[in-house]
Amino acid sequence: MNLTAQNTAVVLDSTADFPEAAERFPNWRMVPLYVRFGDESYRDYIELGPHEFYERLRTSPTTPATSQPTPGDFTATYTELAGYDRIFSIHIPESLSGTIQSARVAAEDFGDKVRAIDSGTASAAIAMLGFAVQRRLERGTTDEEVDALVQRFKENAGLLFTVDTLEFLQRGGRIGRAAKFAGQLLHVKPILTIEGGEVIPLKRVRGAAKAFAEFQQQFSDSTIDTERLRVGIAHADAPERAEQLRKMVAGERPKAQVEIVTTLGAVVGTHAGPGTVGFFWFMDDE
Amino acid sequence: MTPLELARGALASLEASRQRIDDLNVYPVPDGDTGTNLTLTARAIADALETTESTDRPALAKEATRAALMGARGNSGVILSQIVRGFADVVGDAEPFDAGALSRAFRGASDAAYRAVRRPVEGTMLTVIRELAEAAERTDHSQSAAELLVELVRAGEESLARTQDMLDVLRDAGVVDAGGAGLVEIVRGLAATATGEPIPEAPPRESLGFDAIHQELSEYRYCTTFVIEGDGLVREELEGELEQLGDSLLVVGDFTAMKVHVHTDEPGSALAIGTKRGTIAGVEIANMHAQTQHRSARLLEVVPDVKTEVVAVVVGDGNRRLFETLGATSFVEGGQTMNPSTADLVAAVERTGAAEVVLLPNNSNVIMSAEQAARLAGKPVQVVASDSIPAGLAAIVSFDPQRSADENATEMREVLEAVATGEVTVASRDAQLNGLAVPKGAFLGLADGEAVAVGESFDEVARQVVERLLVEPRGMLTLLRGEEAPELDALVASLAKQHPDLEVDVQDGGQPHYPLLLSAE
Repeated sequence: MNLTAQNTAVVLDSTADFPEAAERFPNWRMVPLYVRFGDESYRDYIELGPHEFYERLRTSPTTPATSQPTPGDFTATYTELAGYDRIFSIHIPESLSGTIQSARVAAEDFGDKVRAIDSGTASAAIAMLGFAVQRRLERGTTDEEVDALVQRFKENAGLLFTVDTLEFLQRGGRIGRAAKFAGQLLHVKPILTIEGGEVIPLKRVRGAAKAFAEFQQQFSDSTIDTERLRVGIAHADAPERAEQLRKMVAGERPKAQVEIVTTLGAVVGTHAGPGTVGFFWFMDDE
Repeated sequence: MTPLELARGALASLEASRQRIDDLNVYPVPDGDTGTNLTLTARAIADALETTESTDRPALAKEATRAALMGARGNSGVILSQIVRGFADVVGDAEPFDAGALSRAFRGASDAAYRAVRRPVEGTMLTVIRELAEAAERTDHSQSAAELLVELVRAGEESLARTQDMLDVLRDAGVVDAGGAGLVEIVRGLAATATGEPIPEAPPRESLGFDAIHQELSEYRYCTTFVIEGDGLVREELEGELEQLGDSLLVVGDFTAMKVHVHTDEPGSALAIGTKRGTIAGVEIANMHAQTQHRSARLLEVVPDVKTEVVAVVVGDGNRRLFETLGATSFVEGGQTMNPSTADLVAAVERTGAAEVVLLPNNSNVIMSAEQAARLAGKPVQVVASDSIPAGLAAIVSFDPQRSADENATEMREVLEAVATGEVTVASRDAQLNGLAVPKGAFLGLADGEAVAVGESFDEVARQVVERLLVEPRGMLTLLRGEEAPELDALVASLAKQHPDLEVDVQDGGQPHYPLLLSAE
């Protein structure tokens, strides 16, 4: 089957931090996760935007919790996309969220139409995998080609981020063996990545300046300057840090295309914490 | 096949299983060090046989016995030392050394082990040594000693498997006895050496149940071991007194030397009982609660291997805490006026459970003894030559327990090269330093070991040191306040004005003699 942007849809969940999905591409949709403060539950981005969320995080006595979309949420979205022959449903890894399980349960009612894809990554990087799929849909592609793309993306995409404190990752249990990597004292900044669906600590440095120098070093060591290099940047209520990263990317790799600069939404923000900043890169082959 | 080769074979086998045995350890207290203790005890024997001048079997047997007694660590090590004694007593005189003699040696070992323990408990390494002796007695004594050893490996494995049903604590934890497991590894090593081929491990062991780490802690905190050397020592007397102080008591040896092992909250009182009767040596006091926490952390990791630990020489409670939060696990108290000995450092290295160690001397006067300790220690040790506490702190930030000591050290040394350090102290006498007249009692500021400021005002001297450290562009300034806790608000405020991009971190180090330690990186 020749897959095109006319016959194929892309569904993301809100951990891709790309709420404008449906506005940008008519064949795209975003299914929100839920964030909860006490008894009040909100749909990520739709009922609680990032700005209000970080405000709330500063003032609320309760700490937020998150939950995956229900299978019914996915069923509703897949039904809405009835006019399409194929749906790529691209999600945050199973090890970090049950989201893809809900998607799979819902997908069963749609025969072979829906393909649930574990992106192996989080936030803007999920959206970037979507962009790479969309570029291929726009020129015509096949399931096999998309499978190969996903595989290559999982193997080659780069992701680095740092948090102000590991407290949020720990509280949400999203940190695995990074737990012992703590060190809140002494301005220690962990340099983290996501590998095999797990948050992995790569290194610890002291101070924001060194964390930034580390980002720069690793980015320039693992990329070359070409238009095929795609970059995404995400931050949690730290726009100045995101801007600093954007400048760094532009300086190191002037030809690279920064595809997305976004704020972490309430769900990802709940687990990363304010002050988080990170970036993602993928060298596409076309 | 010499006694040395046998000892080495046993040691190698234990070493290979050391971590696994540590993790099995739930009885008598889950302090997670049985594998380590047995390995170190076996190593003491191998080392003694390595260096001995004796050549005849009886003399070698005596040396092995003595080495085991002196080197015994922990409960399990002490029982092993008795097993070695009972074994060596028979082997020393047996001629020819055949299956029959070996069988008698195991019986001797078993009897000696039971004698050493006040209230023998079944389901422990005692059970395993006894059943090994019984199995040896049942077998055909016309086979060679090597063939018998191979048979005993299997018998030991079966006996070990049964320990789980004998002790509730083992059954609840879903594990076999750690000391018994060590004993089987020793026999496996002996058999492999005797036959010249590896004896494969029997059935895949069950993985350790997570319940094991929730076993209750010993009600006592310190595992205390030492040797009393004297004249006319009486075991029952010592036991009577030591029993008042705690539990897990073991006293073994002869009237000239007794090894004591006790779990107690009052290690000092235990030592005093020793010094009353003779001289004490080989003192080791380990905080079992810390060991247990350490082990829990290790078991809970997704990736179970802690490859490398950091041993840090520190002074000041705050400084110690800082090193601890950054992953140092073993500490030696010491600094400018109190340099630890090489032996202290070796002991700290040996206390770590990891295969490799990075040692941070944190003082220029400690670097040489640290290097000496690295050569003497029984495991690979990399000295990262930090010459001050703030330098060591900067270095340990890059530490990752899952990498080798070598990899860690390379990175830590790189960090050190990019750190400038300074200190503010009080001159203890009139002096002339670097062209500066320094009156007694004045504040003296040093940057990278050079006197750069002197004066009556702490703030002014500190400020000059900071400016000197910031001559090259730096992003991060660390200030460690000494035990007198000088007021730093004014200094920090003026720094924020003059260096708006500089991150400043103030911590209570608590070190004596130096109101302020600084680093810039």
